[in-house]
Amino acid sequence: MAAAQRGDGASYVCLLRDVTPLLRRVAQRRWPSAGADHIEDVVQDTLLTLHAVRHTYTPGRPFEPWLMGILRHRLADSVRRSVRRSSREFAVANLEETFSDVPANMEEEWLPDRDALHKAIAGLSPAQRRAVELLKLKEMSLKEAAAETGMSITALKVATHRALKSLRAVLGRDG
Amino acid sequence: MNTEKLIEELGRNARPVRPLAMPGRRLLGWLAVSMIAVASLVMMMGLRADLATKLGEASFTVQQIASLATTIAAAIAAFAASVPGEPRWKLWLPAAPLAVWIASLGHQCWQEWVRFGVGGMEFRPDFICIPAIAMIGIVPAGAMVAMVRRGAPFHPRLTIILGTLAAGALANFGLRLFHASDAALMVLVWQFGSVALFTALAGLQGRRLLPRPI
Repeated sequence: MAAAQRGDGASYVCLLRDVTPLLRRVAQRRWPSAGADHIEDVVQDTLLTLHAVRHTYTPGRPFEPWLMGILRHRLADSVRRSVRRSSREFAVANLEETFSDVPANMEEEWLPDRDALHKAIAGLSPAQRRAVELLKLKEMSLKEAAAETGMSITALKVATHRALKSLRAVLGRDG
Repeated sequence: MNTEKLIEELGRNARPVRPLAMPGRRLLGWLAVSMIAVASLVMMMGLRADLATKLGEASFTVQQIASLATTIAAAIAAFAASVPGEPRWKLWLPAAPLAVWIASLGHQCWQEWVRFGVGGMEFRPDFICIPAIAMIGIVPAGAMVAMVRRGAPFHPRLTIILGTLAAGALANFGLRLFHASDAALMVLVWQFGSVALFTALAGLQGRRLLPRPI
């Protein structure tokens, strides 16, 4: 370490290679639930900090307490970060759709003329017409409709929304 | 980034650095600078006329010794807090002399209350103590901040609190050598209170005064 402080790069690299397995072992022991990638992050943070504060080591004094002091601080930072992150996140199941397939919010007392409805649907753009036919008339799920049309789920949602807006306007409903 | 690549990169950037001095030398250096500054101010203000008499009073002597001991202990703790791996017991060093100091002030208050009653205890505004403590303590405080910044303060707030306590206690020691105001409540509120105030304010600014090492 004293040689590293004098600028001896080769000695410095030897020292860092020697301490890395020790840092890994101690970090794993103090944070047993951490994965290998977290432990490696702690090790690298410690090496970077050691580099930044290498002038605080007093030659002639024990090296290991100084090194472990740095590791302790970096480990505490990592654990704190990990706890903060996990308190804001939770594991999500593999959801196929981003919203439930609930029919459009049409007021129940309003029942349009069947012919007028079909005429209005025929007047929509091809993408919007297809979206309404599959999702509202055939009551397919978004995933099924996406597979049928080759459109993305987002595109289907947008097309459906625009189609319903147009239908309301055409059939005499306020937007 | 791969750890081995990081090590090689750090090795390429291994420029020579000037190591920190041994802890004892750092303490002596800070004390030398601070004592000279405080002594100069005290001489400028002139020693109080009754100093010889006061030194014969137990409460005055105990409080002066306790504040000086707090200075030294808090300085040791502040320097220890700015070096990784220093034993944690060093951070607790100022607790004992500080407790003695507070206990002595409390004892003096109690004695005066017993002798004169609450109505007879002297208490009046003495705001001059606040800028006086600041003026006497500015050089010790500045030297302390400069020295701990050279270290690695992983707990900036704690480090600055300890450092400010050291400077404030020394300033109080100096103040009592020329400021003849010894009524118990006056000393507790205006003099010790100023030290406590500056220590608390510095603690709030800890992260700004001492940025954490990466």
